[in-house]
Amino acid sequence: MYGGGNTFEAIKAEGLEEEDARKMAEFEGRIAQGEKIEPDDWMPRLYRQQLIRMIEQHAHSEIIGALPEGTWITRAPGFRRKLALMAKVQDEVGHAQLLYSAAETLGKSREEMLTDLINGKSKYSNVFNYPTYTWADSCIISWLIDAGAIVNQMANSKGSYGPYCRALERICAEEAFHLKYGHDSVVYMATGSSIQRQMVQEALNRWWSQIMTFFGPSDKLSVHTETLMRWKVKMASNDECRQQYLDMYVPKILELGLTIPDPLLKKNEDTGQWEYTEPDWDEFRRVINGDGPCNAERLGVRRMAEERGAWVRLALKNPTAKYVRPLA
Amino acid sequence: MSLKSLDPRINRLNLPDGEQPPMEPKAAFDQFETYEVFAQKRDNTPFTYAGPVHAPNADVAFLFAKEQYSRRSACSGLWVVQTRHIMVSPYANDDECIYDTFKVEIPEHTAWPLESYEVFHLKKRGKAHTHIGRVGATSYQEAYHKAKQAFAAQHPAVNMWVVKSKNVLQSAEEDRDMWLTLPEKKYREPAAYKVLDRIKSFKEKQQKALNK
Ligand SMILES: [Fe+2]
Ligand SMILES: [Fe+2]
Ligand SMILES: [Fe+2]
Repeated sequence: MYGGGNTFEAIKAEGLEEEDARKMAEFEGRIAQGEKIEPDDWMPRLYRQQLIRMIEQHAHSEIIGALPEGTWITRAPGFRRKLALMAKVQDEVGHAQLLYSAAETLGKSREEMLTDLINGKSKYSNVFNYPTYTWADSCIISWLIDAGAIVNQMANSKGSYGPYCRALERICAEEAFHLKYGHDSVVYMATGSSIQRQMVQEALNRWWSQIMTFFGPSDKLSVHTETLMRWKVKMASNDECRQQYLDMYVPKILELGLTIPDPLLKKNEDTGQWEYTEPDWDEFRRVINGDGPCNAERLGVRRMAEERGAWVRLALKNPTAKYVRPLA
Repeated sequence: MSLKSLDPRINRLNLPDGEQPPMEPKAAFDQFETYEVFAQKRDNTPFTYAGPVHAPNADVAFLFAKEQYSRRSACSGLWVVQTRHIMVSPYANDDECIYDTFKVEIPEHTAWPLESYEVFHLKKRGKAHTHIGRVGATSYQEAYHKAKQAFAAQHPAVNMWVVKSKNVLQSAEEDRDMWLTLPEKKYREPAAYKVLDRIKSFKEKQQKALNK
């Protein structure tokens, strides 16, 4: 679900000076011309590292994001909603498959990525460390978290790395259903009985601060950020994404007669920018580093699935296999 | 103490609570080998690269491929090839043709008869490889050369893949009905959700209440 141009840790790569100047010029020239980079091309280490981290985190977010919604499949109201939510959750897991393969073309194996997820070495979107208390929470995720993911994914699909673009094209096509389904399920409740309205309002109140942190803190304009933007790894700043999101979705929320739990939220007509209460970034950092309401459950469930399925994978393993990374 | 969840099914799993020792790193091939998948959208259109799957053998790869790449969009056929069976040329720039820049020594004919090879072209970086045709050859190198003669002029490419036809697992004609599941799953189409009327009548009701 998450497809930010940013990752959740500071960029660690060093040594841009050590790269081959001629190859670097060719690489940058290709991107400047709008050509895509393909897996066999020469690329700077920072480019490779940052893409692996970003695509991997995106993949983890899809597979972990399936959990808070998946938990509502059996309790979704009615057969039609069950079918639709099941299809959506299956899509999200499929997105993880596509993204793990795209990251794998850059040289990190799927085994390593899954191990790093479970051992907390690599992150996923922080919003999924929060619980879905009611059916309405699940509807709010389907609509408003997916909407955020779509803003990110659309931007990233214009990035420079071929395999990631191909995966995102497929993903974006499927997301169109998620967004409509999510909107429909929220509209249904918001235009329903007073109990339904109250339920969806409470869920929105719970999720609003997660929504506001979804795109990450304001990016500090570091040399690295600039480099990554020039290389079309990062396609828009976190604030640009957040502003675009608010432009698109605040009116759609308000027209349902729902209120947004931020008294400072308003569009400044002079600057054209949304103003809002700064989200609690201390809480964000605390939760992403492990201390959130659902971190242990998310990783515990993932780990259980890995461990309990291990014997099946072992039994199926082909002893003559030779490793080749996926082609594209 | 076991982990507490809002979901009773998770509580029944009795997952351990608190700090856990790190999981052992996964062994090599825990996630199997990779296969490349080509999908045909409609009859009589070329097979186009869809993406990879991980699988322990070709049959399972086919099942995964069907699920991953034909579940949500029209499909009338799938090809599945083990990644290591595909020979890949280098990539040319977008304004070049790979057959002009990449030279391959043609080996002496060593074995007869000719074997059949499938050729895939990438027209532009970032797009997907498309099946362009079939050549007969006795080696990958010769197949590259034959592909150049047969296709380079008509179909310039920045990258080409070539694979022995016998290594392509193809969906069978007589199994065509397996592609017919899409129409009964309209609830996965954005068009199945029409909210505007509902929102409109809701707004009107609210307005009326206000006017009163
Ligand atoms: Fe997704
Ligand atoms: Fe999502
Ligand atoms: Fe989604």
